[in-house]
Amino acid sequence: MTFSLFTSTALVLGLLEAAPLVLAAIGFTLIFRLNGFTNVAYAENITLGAYFAVIFNSMFGWNFYAAIIPSALLSGLFSVLTYLVIFRPAFKRGVGKTELIILSVGLSFFVRYGSRLIFGNDLFNFTFDNPSYLSAFGIGITSIQLTCIALVVVISLGIYFFIYRTNYGERMRALADNENLAMISGINPTKVSILIWFIAGAAGGLAGVFYGAFSFVSPSLGYNLILIIIMVTIVGGVGSVRGSLAASVGVGIITSAVTLLSKPLYGQVVLLILFIGILKLRKVRI
Amino acid sequence: MREKVLHLKNVVKKFGGRTVVDIKDITFGTHGIEGLIGPNGAGKTTLISLITHKIGMDQGQILYYKNNKEIDISKKRLDEIARLGLVRTNQIIQDFASLSIRESLLLSLATSKDEQLYKIFNEKKFRKAAEQEINEYLEFFHFENPDGNALSAGEKKLLDIIRCMLLKPKFLLMDEPTSGLAQDQTDRVIEMMKTKTANNEMSILIVEHDLDLIWKVSENVFFMAEGEILIQGAPDEIRKNKTVISKYMGENYAQNK
Amino acid sequence: MEQLLSGYVIYSLAFLLIFISLATLLHLQFSLAGIVNFGVVGFWGLGMYSFSLLLVKGKVPFVLAVILACVITGIVSWILGRIILNLDDQAVLVGTLAFATIIEYLSTSEKWLTNGVMGLGTVNFPFNFGKKSLLVYSLILLVFTVLLMLYTYKLKKSPYGRLLLSISDNEKLSQSLGKSTFRQKNIFFTFTCALIGFFGAMAAPLYSFIFPRMIGSGVTFTIWIALMLGGRKRLFGGLIGVIATIGLFDYVIETVIPIPTQYAEIVPNIKFCVYGLMLILVLMFRPFGILGDKKMEIVK
Repeated sequence: MTFSLFTSTALVLGLLEAAPLVLAAIGFTLIFRLNGFTNVAYAENITLGAYFAVIFNSMFGWNFYAAIIPSALLSGLFSVLTYLVIFRPAFKRGVGKTELIILSVGLSFFVRYGSRLIFGNDLFNFTFDNPSYLSAFGIGITSIQLTCIALVVVISLGIYFFIYRTNYGERMRALADNENLAMISGINPTKVSILIWFIAGAAGGLAGVFYGAFSFVSPSLGYNLILIIIMVTIVGGVGSVRGSLAASVGVGIITSAVTLLSKPLYGQVVLLILFIGILKLRKVRI
Repeated sequence: MREKVLHLKNVVKKFGGRTVVDIKDITFGTHGIEGLIGPNGAGKTTLISLITHKIGMDQGQILYYKNNKEIDISKKRLDEIARLGLVRTNQIIQDFASLSIRESLLLSLATSKDEQLYKIFNEKKFRKAAEQEINEYLEFFHFENPDGNALSAGEKKLLDIIRCMLLKPKFLLMDEPTSGLAQDQTDRVIEMMKTKTANNEMSILIVEHDLDLIWKVSENVFFMAEGEILIQGAPDEIRKNKTVISKYMGENYAQNK
Repeated sequence: MEQLLSGYVIYSLAFLLIFISLATLLHLQFSLAGIVNFGVVGFWGLGMYSFSLLLVKGKVPFVLAVILACVITGIVSWILGRIILNLDDQAVLVGTLAFATIIEYLSTSEKWLTNGVMGLGTVNFPFNFGKKSLLVYSLILLVFTVLLMLYTYKLKKSPYGRLLLSISDNEKLSQSLGKSTFRQKNIFFTFTCALIGFFGAMAAPLYSFIFPRMIGSGVTFTIWIALMLGGRKRLFGGLIGVIATIGLFDYVIETVIPIPTQYAEIVPNIKFCVYGLMLILVLMFRPFGILGDKKMEIVK
């Protein structure tokens, strides 16, 4: 493989890897910034998003792009549900930060194996209408993949715009930075928190949909990615949408480059080793 | 006058652009008990945290003197400094939730020789050796339930002080040790301070807002304001000093009237 | 039939002993030293695979292979500890989780070494007493498990135990008393991880063939739920928890309730689903385990 072919392939594949990761990282970082803990159950948000879309796409026969909308909504609702039923009561009971992550691991296992009971252990694929085949930088790519990447860009920009340029977004950021001050300023913490969890959930669900579109949908889809998502959040900076974006692209390219050079699992292993190194470098403090 | 214990040179600490501590050249430890006074926000607690390296200084040098040797502790870790005999009590109450009062004291007395992961059969012997010293403190301060946790703020404060004492430090920094203590306990702390510093083996620097206590106990007093130590001298001189009165005692004086 | 049943019972008990030991080691790491180790299966798997490789491919004698497996696990955990043990709890949690994931992936990808998903074996008992081999081996396991619990009991009442507790309660305060907290955490972490590796090695003959799928995150998760359920501060917390989870699900339910083969596939799903729910409920309502909070336990 020539060097230029290698770089183009790594770049294109990298962008494909990164696109859904960007959405997942944005959603994850919102919760991380607001509540200060790593929500491992977010992995199931991603997986369920893919499953919701499968239901509309394969079972009800909707067009793939149409199925995205109810999937996003349902994912957002699921996220809000976990917040209201589990995490908010846990905060109120004074469950510590470390215990909260352990609790989220418990929730992750509950939802993941519950999904296996409902949907079975099998893999699913989306059905698309007549994809066309194009080429970018000399690499074959389908119209589906291009459209999805475009959608990711649009949605990410939308979320970015919402958080940094609207009143609601301002309230969200105020609440995340200082709850007491925000409350005194008249911001309703419950309403704003629900909004944040909804957006985070929708973003995660969409990430799952796009992951499923690029490969396949399995019950462990989200769980296999959660560590990488955490890493992207830390590298990009907690709460920074721009940072998550840059870090995701970086991760995508590294993964595809390593995979091209060796085996798929090595890509994951390299990322995980980098992850441990980054924990040390960033001295994660909540 | 004794040999100096600490020498601070050009020690500076800034928090977000604001200079919180700026010590040009100060020597501590030349008297048995020295006092450090100053208004709130003067930087007294920060200074103590810098000396023990709980927080790092931006620039400067701190020299420590022990057994006729000069040791630069500017870059040493918290635990290394404590092992060298430079110990501080905490202004904000700190405790170990899992340990009873007695266990806390046993922890303090344990050396690295005692604390080895394979030494699990030495408990009885260890407790026996420590018994007398610990009981002396427990009885002196009238602890009612030494095998329970320290419950009240006062108990925790006293426990903090005793833990430090058991380390037999060469230099003890006490950060508002009597705030929150009843008068009888305060008197006992003062008595203990005087006894322990009577020979040349320990010196104390005490930060306090209770000025009567400072005048009663200190042989030398430092006045700190806005990050700098402006004056030092005998208690009688300091309490009459115009700058001290205007910057600090004015408010205290008015309050105590 | 009777013989079959009793063989199965001893087999189950042997596994229970392994997991009780793992839960006790996690108890030491979490409740005593405050280390949130979510990569338990990584060290267990490392011990298991190093031992099996040495035994099967390296033709190393059993006892030596066990010792070397411990040493390897110890060295790796020392390095990991140096990197992450002075970070905050969340970092330790995800860092150890990442480590365990790396071990799981490598056991699959390094086919030349581990035979990947085809499995590594045969790992045999170090002796041959015919039908009694399993029983003798289980008794040896019992001895080690009891020794471990005795060590734990004694440690909690010793100066070192108090040191560890002080580090997990308030590390800075412990440092201000002159304790080398990072060094001690690292030493203790290495020691306990080497023991986790030990029980990994000891588990291999019970499986006789080892596969990467045996060292997935489900194992770590099971140990955690067992410890939380049984009581994280109790000496017997691990024991109670393991019996209530693994004992109940993997042995009692599977033996007592005959499950038709078409449903056999969903049993692990039900199991982990229930475990997840239990963990949530325990952390929200009974953080000190089903037997509740013994104030005395904390004081002592």
